Amino acid sequence: MVFVWLTAFFLLIALIVLVIYQLMCLADLEFDYINPYDSSLRINKVVIPEFVLQGVLCLLFLLSGHWLMFLFCVPNLYYNVRLYRQRQHLVDVTEIFNQLNGEKKRRLLKLINLVVLLFLSLFWMIWSVLEDDE
Amino acid sequence: MQPMGNDKPTNVPGRPVSPFRAAPQSSTPFISSGPVVGLEASGASRATTPFLSSGPGTILGASGTPQTTVPFLSSGPITGTQMSNYRSPPPPPVRYNGPSSPPPPTSYPAQDATTYQQTQAPRFPPPGQPVTPFRGPVGSSGPSPSGSFRPQPQIPSVPMGPPPQTATQMSSRSNMPPPLSESSFSATRPPPQPSLQGYSYGLPRGNMPPASAEPQLPAPRSVSQPPLQQAFPSSHVPPVHASYHAHQGGVVPPPPPPIGGPLGYNSREQIQYPNIGPPIGGNLQGLVEEFQSLSVGSAPGSLDHGVDVKSLPRPLSGDEEPIKILETFPLNCHPRFLRLTTYAIPSSQSLLARWHLPLGAVVHPLAEVPDGEEVPIVNFGPAGIIRCRRCRTYVNPYVTFTDAGRKWRCNICSLLNDVSGEYYCALDASGRRCDVDQRPELSKGSVEFVAPTEYMVRPPMPPLYFFLIDVSVSAVRSGFLEVVATTIKSCLDELPGFPRTQIGFLTFDSTLHFHNLKSSLTQPQMLVVADLDDIFLPLPDDLLVNLSDSRHVVDALLDSLPSMFQDNANIESALGPALKAALMVMSQLGGKLLVFQSTLPSIGVGRLRLRGDDLRIYGTDKEHTLRIPDDPFYKQMAAEFTKHQIAVDVYAFSEKYTDIASLGSLAKYTGGQVYHYPSFQAPTHQEKLRYELARDLTRETAWESVMRVRCGKGVRFTTYHGHFMLRSTDLLALPAVDCDKAFAMQLSLEDTLMTTQTVYFQVALLYTSSSGERRIRVHTAAAHVVADLGEMYRQADTGAIILLLSRLAVENTLSHKLEDARQLMQLKLVKSLKEYRNLHVVQHRLGGRLIFPESLRFLPLYVLSLCKSLALRGGYADVPLDERCAAGYNMMILPIRRMLKLLYPGLYRIDENLIKGPEEFNESSKQLALSAQSLDPRALYIYDDGFSFIVWLGRMLSPDIVNNTLGVDLSGFPDLSRLALLEHDNEYSRKLMRIIRRLREKDPSCFQLCRVVRQGEQPREGSLLLSNLFEDQAAGTSGYVDWILQIYRQLQSS
Repeated sequence: MVFVWLTAFFLLIALIVLVIYQLMCLADLEFDYINPYDSSLRINKVVIPEFVLQGVLCLLFLLSGHWLMFLFCVPNLYYNVRLYRQRQHLVDVTEIFNQLNGEKKRRLLKLINLVVLLFLSLFWMIWSVLEDDE
Repeated sequence: MQPMGNDKPTNVPGRPVSPFRAAPQSSTPFISSGPVVGLEASGASRATTPFLSSGPGTILGASGTPQTTVPFLSSGPITGTQMSNYRSPPPPPVRYNGPSSPPPPTSYPAQDATTYQQTQAPRFPPPGQPVTPFRGPVGSSGPSPSGSFRPQPQIPSVPMGPPPQTATQMSSRSNMPPPLSESSFSATRPPPQPSLQGYSYGLPRGNMPPASAEPQLPAPRSVSQPPLQQAFPSSHVPPVHASYHAHQGGVVPPPPPPIGGPLGYNSREQIQYPNIGPPIGGNLQGLVEEFQSLSVGSAPGSLDHGVDVKSLPRPLSGDEEPIKILETFPLNCHPRFLRLTTYAIPSSQSLLARWHLPLGAVVHPLAEVPDGEEVPIVNFGPAGIIRCRRCRTYVNPYVTFTDAGRKWRCNICSLLNDVSGEYYCALDASGRRCDVDQRPELSKGSVEFVAPTEYMVRPPMPPLYFFLIDVSVSAVRSGFLEVVATTIKSCLDELPGFPRTQIGFLTFDSTLHFHNLKSSLTQPQMLVVADLDDIFLPLPDDLLVNLSDSRHVVDALLDSLPSMFQDNANIESALGPALKAALMVMSQLGGKLLVFQSTLPSIGVGRLRLRGDDLRIYGTDKEHTLRIPDDPFYKQMAAEFTKHQIAVDVYAFSEKYTDIASLGSLAKYTGGQVYHYPSFQAPTHQEKLRYELARDLTRETAWESVMRVRCGKGVRFTTYHGHFMLRSTDLLALPAVDCDKAFAMQLSLEDTLMTTQTVYFQVALLYTSSSGERRIRVHTAAAHVVADLGEMYRQADTGAIILLLSRLAVENTLSHKLEDARQLMQLKLVKSLKEYRNLHVVQHRLGGRLIFPESLRFLPLYVLSLCKSLALRGGYADVPLDERCAAGYNMMILPIRRMLKLLYPGLYRIDENLIKGPEEFNESSKQLALSAQSLDPRALYIYDDGFSFIVWLGRMLSPDIVNNTLGVDLSGFPDLSRLALLEHDNEYSRKLMRIIRRLREKDPSCFQLCRVVRQGEQPREGSLLLSNLFEDQAAGTSGYVDWILQIYRQLQSS
C-alpha cells in the first residue's frame, strides 16, 4: 500500500512541475520575456507527457482500488481527453495572445486540483505507514 | 378629451410622466403625427396635427395666460421646428401613433375624418376668437409664426405653474393624456430642459391639439372643456387633420406641426434631421436637443407602422471623416490614419461599462493621401531619433519643452527627458520652441522618421515576390494561368525596389516544379520534385533571383508557362508541400508569397476535405467549425511565414469548394489578403484579376514591419482585429503592409478612475521601404477624457464603431453560430441606444420615439446591413460557404471608407445622364435609398458596393439605350451573365463607360467588375441585386422600417 501512495506522490509532483512550467511559459509570454513561437513550442512539448502522466495516475488509483482518489482525478482526465479529441490540447501560436487568459485559468485549476490530490495522498501515505507499523 | 385644454397644462406637470409613459408609445404617434400629419393616409391625422400646433400656439400668444402659455410653449417651439418638419415630412407615417395608444389614439383615427373636420372647423373659430388673431397669423403664415413662437414657448415654460393643477385633472381624465403626451413629445425634442416643460404642456395640447386649443380659448380650463374635449376626442383629431391638409396644401402650414397626433411621425427633431438633414442642424441645433429621434409609435394590431420611410436617416454621402477633431486638436494626425470610436475617452470603468459600443481605434497607417499632403520625412542623422527614455514614445507635437529648452516632458508618460545638444533650441516667450515651424515632428501629427541602424536586426530586405502557381487541370481550363502569366510579365517593370527586387516561381500539381532562373541561362530550367513527404530544394540558390539580372529568363518562363501546362491532365493539388517548399526558398529573406489556387488541396500534408455541404450542421453548435481552418497545418504554416517575414496573398479561383476558411488563415496571420474569384472564367473575370494582381504587385508596400500603438497612462489596447500576427502583447507583426489594409483595436481602462484631462495615442509603424530604407511612420493623436456619457455619444464616430463592430462580428462567427453573431450586434445596438435613452428620458418625454445621438444616426442602418452582409447573412442556402469566408476575410482588412461603402452601397440612376447633355455625373447628389422602391422600370441604375458594379436595366427602359449600351439586342434574350460591358461606338455607350470609369477611379483598391442584369431576370436579379438592397425585407430578414420598429420595441420592453 505504501508503495502505491509513494508512486502517486511522485506522479503528482511530476504533474505539478509540468503544469507550473507551462504556467511560467505563459507568464513569460505575457511579460514579453519570450516570443510566442518559443513559448508555444515549450508548452506543446510537455502537454502530451502531462496527459499521459495524468492517465497513469488515474489508472493507478483505479487498479489499487482507491475509489475516492480516483473520483478526484476523473474530472481532470475527462477534460484532457476531451481536449485531445477536439485537437485543442496544443496551444495555438497564432491565437496565443487572445487565449492567454483562458489557458492560464485552465492550468491554474488543474494545479489546484493536483495540489489537493497531493495533500490527500500525503495524508494517506502517512496513514498507511502508521498502519503498517502497528 | 374634454379637459384637454385645461388638462394640458395640468397634465403636463404631474401626470405626464407616468401616464404618458404608458400611453406614450401610442401617444407618441400623435406627437409625431403633428409634424407628420400629412403622412397618414387617412388624412384625418394630418388635420389633427395642424390644429394642435396652431391652436396652442396661437392661444398662448394671445391669452398669455399661464395655462395657455404652457400649451403654447410646447406648441410654439414645436411649430417652429415642426414647421420645417412638416413641409418635408408631410407624407409621413403617422398613423401608427394612433395605434400605440390603443384606446385614445385608435379612437381618433377611427373616427371619421370628415366628421371631425366639420366639428373642428366650428370649434376653432369659437375658441380662437380671443385668440383668433393669433391663429390667423399662425395658420396662414405658418412658418414665420412658428419661429416667433419658439421663443415664447421657452419662456412660458418657466411659468409652468399651471401644469400641476391640471395634473390632478389629468389624472382623472386618463384618456386625454396620451395624446397630450405625444404632443408634448414633439415639443420636447430638441431643447432639453426648457423643452421639457414645454413638452409636458405641449403634450396635452398635442393630444387634442385642436380640441384643447379650442376649449382653452373659450373657457379654458375646467368644466367647459371636458365636454368639448370629449366630443373632440373621437372626432376632433381627424377633423383637424382635414383642415390642416387644406392648410398645408395651400399654405405651408407651419402651424400644424407638432401635434399631428395620431400619425405619429413627429419629433421634430427627427423629422427635421432626416428630412432636412444637414440644414436642420443648422437652424435648430441650438434649440434642438443634441439627439435625434424617430417616432415609431404604432398601434398594436395595426398594419401600419409609424415610421416615415423617407425620413429615416441614410448615409447617402458615404463616409464622413471626423475632421472636427482637428479643430479641437489641430496637431492630431489626420483621421484617415487614426480614428477613435469616440473622441471622448471615459474617465472611469463605470462610465465605460455604460458605453456598450466598442471603445477603440481604427488604424490605417499607410492610408493613401491626396497630393500635397504627403507625410513629411524627418532624418535626425547621427543624433538618433528623439524618444522618451521610459516609454519609448517618439517625439511629437504634444511634448512640452521646459527648463529653457533643455528638457522635454513626454506627453504619454510625463517623464522629463533631456534634450540632446544637437536638438537643443531656445524657447520663445510662450514656452514654444523657436524652430517649431521648421520641424515637422513638432508641428505635424504624422511624420516619418528615417531609422538608423539600431532599428535593424539585419540589412533591409529587398522587395521579394514569390509565386506559387497551381497548374492542375482546372487551373488551365479556367484560363487563369494565362492571365496570371501575362499580368505578372506586364508588371515586371513596375515592381517596386528596382534594381534589388527578387523574384521566383514554383508551380505545382501532384508534384512540385521548381524553376531555375539563373541569369546565365537562356531558358529557365524546370526541376520536378515528386517526393511530397520529404521536401528538399533541388538547388541551393537560383530559385530566387534578382529580377534585373535574370529578366530575360523570367520573361521566357512567363511566356512559356501557359503553354507548358496546356495539356496537363493532373487533377491533384499538393498545396501543403508547395507551401513548405516556398518557405524553404524564402526563409532567408522574407517577402511576399502569392498563392494561386484553383482546387481543393488534395495530396500531401495540408490536404483538405470537402465540407460545408452538410445542411444539417447549420444551426448547431458545430456550425462555426466550417468557418475555421480544418487543418491546423495552415495556421502553423502562417505562423512560420510570419516568423520569416513572409506575407501570403491567396488568390482562389474555384469552381467548387476550395476551403477558403483554411487557405485564408495563411493570409490572416501574415498580413496578407484573400482574393476570391468564384467560378473564374477568363473571358469575364480576366480584367478584374489583371487589375487586382497588378495593384497587389505594384502598390507601395512596407516590408518586414512591426506596428505598436502606445497610449497614455490609464488606458491600454487589449485586443486587436485584422490581418497580422501578435508578436507580443501589443506588437503587431506585419510581414508586409500596404495602403489597402486597416487595423482595429479595442481599448480598456486600467485604472478605475483616470486623472488626466487628455489621453494621447501614438501609432508607430517600423518598416523597410521598397527602396531599402528603414523608416518609422508615426501618427499621434489626442483625445479628451470626459466624465459624461452624453459627451461620449456626441463625439462618437459611426465609421470607426461600425468597422470595429463588423470585425467583432466576423470573429464571432468563427466561434459561434451566425445567428448568435447577428444577435450580438443587435444587442450591442439596443443596449447603447437604451443607455442613451436613459440619459434623456428623465428630462424629456420620449414615448413613441426612438432617440439616438446625431453622431450615431446611421448606426442602426449599418448594423442592419452588417447583419445582411455576405459574411453574416442567412444560413446555408443564402451564401456559398467559400464566398462567406472570403467576405469575412475581406472585412477584416477593409478601411473605414470601403467598409461603409460595402455596407451601404451606392445606387445611382443614370439613364438621364445618358440621354441628356454632357453634364458631369455627380455621385453624391444622386445616390438613392437602397430599396427596390427606388428602382423605376423605365430607368437604368448602377449599383456600386466597392467590389462590383451591377447595371440594372428596367423592364420598360427604352430599347434604344439598351441596345446601344450593351451592343446586343435584348429581344433575343441573350445570356447576360456572359455579357461583358464594352465601349461601343455610340454616345450612350461612351457616356456609360465614362460614368463607370469615374466610379472606379473613386476606389482604386479593387476592380469593380461590371455585371448587367435585367429587371425580372431570375434568379440573377435576386442574387445580384435584390438581396443586396439592404433596406428591403428579404427572406427572413427585416427591412429598414421593421428593423427600426424592432429596435424600438426592444428598447421599450426591457
